[in-house]
Amino acid sequence: MESKEELRRRVKLMIVENLMLQVTVDEIRDQQPLFGPGGLGLDSVDALQLVVALEKEFGLKLADQGIARQVLQSVETMADAIQNCSPATPK
Amino acid sequence: MNPRIILITGANGGLGQAIARAFFRESADNSVWLGVRGHREAAEKLASEHPGRCEVAALDVTQPTEWRDLVSRIVGQHQRLDVLVNNAGYHADSLLAQMTPEDWRGVLAANLDGTFHGCQSVLPAMVSQRHGRIVNIASLSALAAPPGQTNYAAAKAGVIALTQSLAKEVARIGITVNAICPGFIETGILHALGAEARKALLARIPMRRTGRPEEVAAAVCFLACPDAGYITGSTLKVDGGVL
Repeated sequence: MESKEELRRRVKLMIVENLMLQVTVDEIRDQQPLFGPGGLGLDSVDALQLVVALEKEFGLKLADQGIARQVLQSVETMADAIQNCSPATPK
Repeated sequence: MNPRIILITGANGGLGQAIARAFFRESADNSVWLGVRGHREAAEKLASEHPGRCEVAALDVTQPTEWRDLVSRIVGQHQRLDVLVNNAGYHADSLLAQMTPEDWRGVLAANLDGTFHGCQSVLPAMVSQRHGRIVNIASLSALAAPPGQTNYAAAKAGVIALTQSLAKEVARIGITVNAICPGFIETGILHALGAEARKALLARIPMRRTGRPEEVAAAVCFLACPDAGYITGSTLKVDGGVL
């Protein structure tokens, strides 16, 4: 079974690959904001890509913008949402 | 060219039919879905001429749920959707003073809302593929609005603005969005013109002839082809030099 740490790493890899970021997985902190100052510097188009990628790679469907805003705060919040939607994944 | 999956709306009309035929000619491996509302005889006939490569689907472009269902069906079947041509639309001309709210709303819904719903429906698939081509059919009326078309001209101008804005949003994801403004094209509307009206019309066209649907279709195919990958947010006139 996949540990929380492994899941966070997969989420980071998904972010880097899908958004073609010029940073490595190791450079992204778990609680680092994805948007806004001090964060990864993502924008709304990146968010659109992440919403699609989360559904494609993790089966996590973000039903509306409010939920997406909550989930797409950091790698940590994304990993939490993935775990909560997947009963097969240990918490 | 790799085989592509193409969805064309308004495929029962002369222009939609010509666009579909152009994609059939482009590659024997292309699969074309024809979205039609109401009468579907012409689309069914076209599909029967291209067995295994063409499907006809009921689609009211003003209904987001119908869009979602159709795109889901296409992606479920092909695992991708490469090209969307938003061609469906109609006009209901009258002077603004006499225009009914129904004609205003109906024309805006079919031409502008329909384009919005179409683009929104295909985006998840195209974003996931990191590739896509959207071609929106606008009109010369959007660029030089004639009297009697406040609704249609406003809707088509909206299509051009939507095209430009969306193109910027999705450019870095590998999706291009462009618009085409056909001029006076030989479709059912022009066939109904009398001799005098046709003569007056031709006098306005520098090429002194009307356009053929195939000439608009060629422009659609060009904007949708891989070689047009650096063109986005553009509006291409196919009008014989009118503007």
